[in-house]
Amino acid sequence: MSAILSVSDLTVAYGGVTALDGVSLSVEEGEIVTVLGANGAGKTTLLLGIMGAVPAMRGRIQFRDADLSRARPHTRLAKGLVLVPEGRQVLVSLTVEENLLLGAHLRRDRQAVRSEIAAIYERFPNLGQRRHTAAATLSGGEQQMVAIGRAMVARPQVLMLDEPSLGLSPLFVSKVFDLIQEMNRSGLTIVLVEQNTGKALSVAHSATVLELGKVAVAGPCDALRNDHRLLEAYLGGSAESSGDPQPMRVGSQ
Amino acid sequence: MIAQQLINGVMLGSIYVLVGVSFTLAIGILNFLNFSIPGLFMIGGMVSWVLLTQGWHWAAAIGAALAAAALVSLAVEQLSYRRTRGADPEVPLVSSLGFLVLLENLVLVGVGSDQQTFPSLLGDFNFRIGGLVIGAAQAISLVLTFALVVGLSFVLGRTNLGRQIRAIAESRSTAVLLGVDVGRLVPKIFVLTALFTALGGVMFALSYLQVSPFMGEGVGFKGVAAMIIGGMGSVWGAVIGGLIIGLIEVGSIWAFGADTVNIAVYGSLLLLLILRPHGLFGKPAIREKL
Repeated sequence: MSAILSVSDLTVAYGGVTALDGVSLSVEEGEIVTVLGANGAGKTTLLLGIMGAVPAMRGRIQFRDADLSRARPHTRLAKGLVLVPEGRQVLVSLTVEENLLLGAHLRRDRQAVRSEIAAIYERFPNLGQRRHTAAATLSGGEQQMVAIGRAMVARPQVLMLDEPSLGLSPLFVSKVFDLIQEMNRSGLTIVLVEQNTGKALSVAHSATVLELGKVAVAGPCDALRNDHRLLEAYLGGSAESSGDPQPMRVGSQ
Repeated sequence: MIAQQLINGVMLGSIYVLVGVSFTLAIGILNFLNFSIPGLFMIGGMVSWVLLTQGWHWAAAIGAALAAAALVSLAVEQLSYRRTRGADPEVPLVSSLGFLVLLENLVLVGVGSDQQTFPSLLGDFNFRIGGLVIGAAQAISLVLTFALVVGLSFVLGRTNLGRQIRAIAESRSTAVLLGVDVGRLVPKIFVLTALFTALGGVMFALSYLQVSPFMGEGVGFKGVAAMIIGGMGSVWGAVIGGLIIGLIEVGSIWAFGADTVNIAVYGSLLLLLILRPHGLFGKPAIREKL
């Protein structure tokens, strides 16, 4: 097995409530793994657990040859585990450029950072034009681009995205998914948490479905896409619409 | 004559600026109204006085006083702040207030409660420009204060460290996710506030030639007032606030006599807060962070 990241038996509880109960996840180098599940299934907690931002009661995080189970978040980030957090969490009191520079705060090669940021501005001219304005003034879609750019300048080896399409216009939803596929084609390993099940299954190689903090199903996407009954059972929807422009919503609403 | 009063007010205000900026850093970055700050101010003045009377060279005495304040501030971080994280914000506030009383009384036990005369390191040296007299100590504290605030502003605004600090100020949990080593940065911020405050204490002693175990209280409250006038959480707001208080103080002494100082300062603060509850530069909706 050439797993770049493997999570085993991860258990996290908040104040006595178990959010994640013995979850295992194996991510192969160069693939997109999507983590699906209804609200409260433990998807965000899984990513926070991988980053070390929530205390794990039990479990092991193996990244390449290193056991990071006890490592603090900044050590994990330095190793190449980078998260685009839930709700983007762009720092609104900082400018666009300061947000991007903050993403690279562990790096010392300033020249390279500058040119990578310049490349982000070239790709997203809107961000370039507003590089010195507070990120508070950006639209949700633009903030998501800042959040992804901020993660990319940290030089991830595994990029984790927590519901990157949530609350975005259809135009930005497809921009985000295009970007994910493009980054993956250039060799980046991606863990994608999504509620937009159809879109996620269409770009990912394998999927893990969480239910109430446990792994309900895991396997290659081809198999899961065709197993309607299974997806209906766990996600309350059908995966038939995988190519459908209408994002399929599950969970709340 | 008015020009002389303005200069005196600005020079007195520069001491309040240092203390107000310290309070601003503590509340802006750590969301901690750190009432040990007046104690650190007193340590700056008292420790340098004790060491000077024992014959230490002035540079060594001041350096040791700053180091002592930094160490005490680290103790406050460990004992008042870190232990009470997750509790209501009032808990570390009250705990740091306990630290203030403890520090004052430890010094009182050591050297007594009397007001002590601080040796005049700069003699009667002063500058005369036109008809104006500017004391050397006051001039030094004014220049040093502005150099420090400009330096601080540069670090916060333009450097990698500053962006990390501002990330903590806006959202500690996001900063953690971005790999900011919060556990290592927070003690540094405590040391920084201690150095600013204790330097204020040294400058106060040099300028006004007196120290006592309770010298931090009056100045400390005016530092809080400076921060609030400036709008809580804005470094330059605290600078303007400190200077305004210095000017009000000197102005009221000149016009009405020394007894009216606190009435003028705190009366103006009250009036300002009635008219502008968020201070001069505070924003009601999105509070400016540093």
